[in-house]
Amino acid sequence: MPLNAIELAKLFHDKNPGITPGHRMCPGCAAPNVVKFALMTAIAKGYHPVVGLATGCLEVSTTIFPYTAWNVPYIHNAFENVAATISGVETAFRAAKKRGEIPPDKKLAFFAFAGDGGTYDIGLQSLSGAVERGHKFIYIVYDNEGYMNTGNQRSGATPPGSDTTTAPVGKQIPGKLQLKKNIVEIMAAHENVYVATVAISEPIDFMKKIEKALEFDGPAFIAAHSACVRFWRVNDDKAVESARLAVETLYWPLYEVERGVYRVTKKITNPKPVEEYIRSQGRFRPLLSRPDAKEIIEELQQYVTSRYERLLALEEITKDKPLRGPWAKEDFQTDEHAM
Amino acid sequence: MAERVLVKGTEAIGEAAIRAGCRLFFGYPITPQNELPEYMSKRMPEVGGTFLQTESEVATINMVYGAACTGTRVMTSTSSPGFSLMQEGISYMACAQLPAVLVNVVRGGPGLGDIQPSQGDYWQATKGGGHGDYKLIVLAPSTVQEAVDLTVLAFDLADKYRTPVVIIADGVIGQMMEPVTFPEFRNLNTLPKHDDWALTGANGREKHIVVSFDIDPHVLEKMNLEIVEKLRKIEANEKRWEEYKLEDAEIVITAFGTVGRIAKSVVEQARKEGIKAGLFRPITLWPFPYERLEEISKGKKLILDVEMNMGQMLEDVKLAVKDHARIEFYGRMGGVVPTPDEIFEALKKFLNV
Repeated sequence: MPLNAIELAKLFHDKNPGITPGHRMCPGCAAPNVVKFALMTAIAKGYHPVVGLATGCLEVSTTIFPYTAWNVPYIHNAFENVAATISGVETAFRAAKKRGEIPPDKKLAFFAFAGDGGTYDIGLQSLSGAVERGHKFIYIVYDNEGYMNTGNQRSGATPPGSDTTTAPVGKQIPGKLQLKKNIVEIMAAHENVYVATVAISEPIDFMKKIEKALEFDGPAFIAAHSACVRFWRVNDDKAVESARLAVETLYWPLYEVERGVYRVTKKITNPKPVEEYIRSQGRFRPLLSRPDAKEIIEELQQYVTSRYERLLALEEITKDKPLRGPWAKEDFQTDEHAM
Repeated sequence: MAERVLVKGTEAIGEAAIRAGCRLFFGYPITPQNELPEYMSKRMPEVGGTFLQTESEVATINMVYGAACTGTRVMTSTSSPGFSLMQEGISYMACAQLPAVLVNVVRGGPGLGDIQPSQGDYWQATKGGGHGDYKLIVLAPSTVQEAVDLTVLAFDLADKYRTPVVIIADGVIGQMMEPVTFPEFRNLNTLPKHDDWALTGANGREKHIVVSFDIDPHVLEKMNLEIVEKLRKIEANEKRWEEYKLEDAEIVITAFGTVGRIAKSVVEQARKEGIKAGLFRPITLWPFPYERLEEISKGKKLILDVEMNMGQMLEDVKLAVKDHARIEFYGRMGGVVPTPDEIFEALKKFLNV
């Protein structure tokens, strides 16, 4: 069933996308939009969202006691365990449903939101465990490529050449030397999972993927490009533009992997050079003044190009060849193991 | 004379560590101590040292474990929830008898708590924290200068006794700027080499074994006893404290760290109003200076223990004072830092004046 545009418009109008205005995220931050797109889609599809949050900007800025920006059931635990926490909630829900305490037709959608720190690094263990166990939840990383909550330290998601406080771009060392960890492929390797990348500059693509995640029989992982206007050193009206440029330069390819089947959801025929993306953000400015800037950018360019080509090849060879299917689950994964 | 410079507490600890000969720092961001790893990431390359940012506190402490096995001076810093995550590794290090310096810039707890100053980790730091029989040397600075001096001392004690040493500070000490005098740079060639146990490659020498395990309970008990013997030695030699205007005092305030500093103002205020107050400030929280506090408490009208927690050091104060004097407690929690006025009001209430 396609998304109902009128329903979505109503949700916007009623200011009821799950997260309300008035929170204390920085003006122009992309993360609240990531949340809105996800929760609006769930609500429009008749789901009651339940939100788990890892420690991070989104958590500290939306829940400063006695205020909360969440008008849906909400849980926060610590930094490293949002996937475990939401696993517990989801298990309790299934158990309660089985006991008949919750009407069988009531649709709940369990969301876990975390930044790249809580996902790529400290939270990876609990995320992998939850996805492997097959809890029915949607994990969304708002990837702003650094520990922005604690003041811009490098993370596993920080790209090379980006200036951070713990991997500063200086005269000796050109900042972080490692490429960004490919979290999407790590999660796709769990196989019995729906994985996708999204960008707020492509809302329809974004919401379609959330819709798919909601209907997918198993866990889903969504990686959202999420500009931190503060530490990316861009104007606070640039989050959407950054996302668009990331997609157009292949820095952030939009694709999905459903049980091993790849699909590039937005084909870019004439990609812009990745340098354009880099030049648009102040966090790369110290890099640009280094004599080896050209080589570092060139390396990044080669990486994004070959990654995109690889994705197209994977799309071709995995077409209609899912690694696993719901068939394996129907026999064994009943609600029994919830008890 | 060395130059006095104005420095932030966390950065002062970092610089002091480098001057003490530390060239290896593992860190992971957590508020309110981010300036320390940030400082180290800039400063370490300048002195030929290494800064490494990990993916979690669990990784951090185990990297410290790995590095400490080689006998090199190594350090990390964190704040309360991160210190909780490190406990398994700390227990392993205590049993394996590995020297390292661990900084805990304590924040409000329990749980997520907040990021304001607190002393809620006293128990965790002094009573074990991790599993099994062990203690850590715990140093509590009350000024930025003292943080510098204790950082250097921490490395020396860690090496001397082959034990992790904790510097317990809070957001006040960490974030405050004060003028300090740094010590000279330690000549790296003069640092202890730990030739007798460190894992440096056994080629051409007897093999060294560093473990925190033995399958034979009698052997493990022996290892435990070795640690106990070491801890007794530390207790005998390393107790440190400050006494302030205790000569004629009738009232003794006991407090450590930031509160120890605030309590000095309370002592002055009380004396202006004719109340003869003094301060006893433990600098080593473990080993705790029980004997000296007992001696001081004899014949006193009141011992007022003040802390930024629910009364954690209070237990040690009670063990020390026994029934020599009346003990009262004033504490603030959740990141609230008590003002001198508030402590003085509490004092007057307990004295009925």
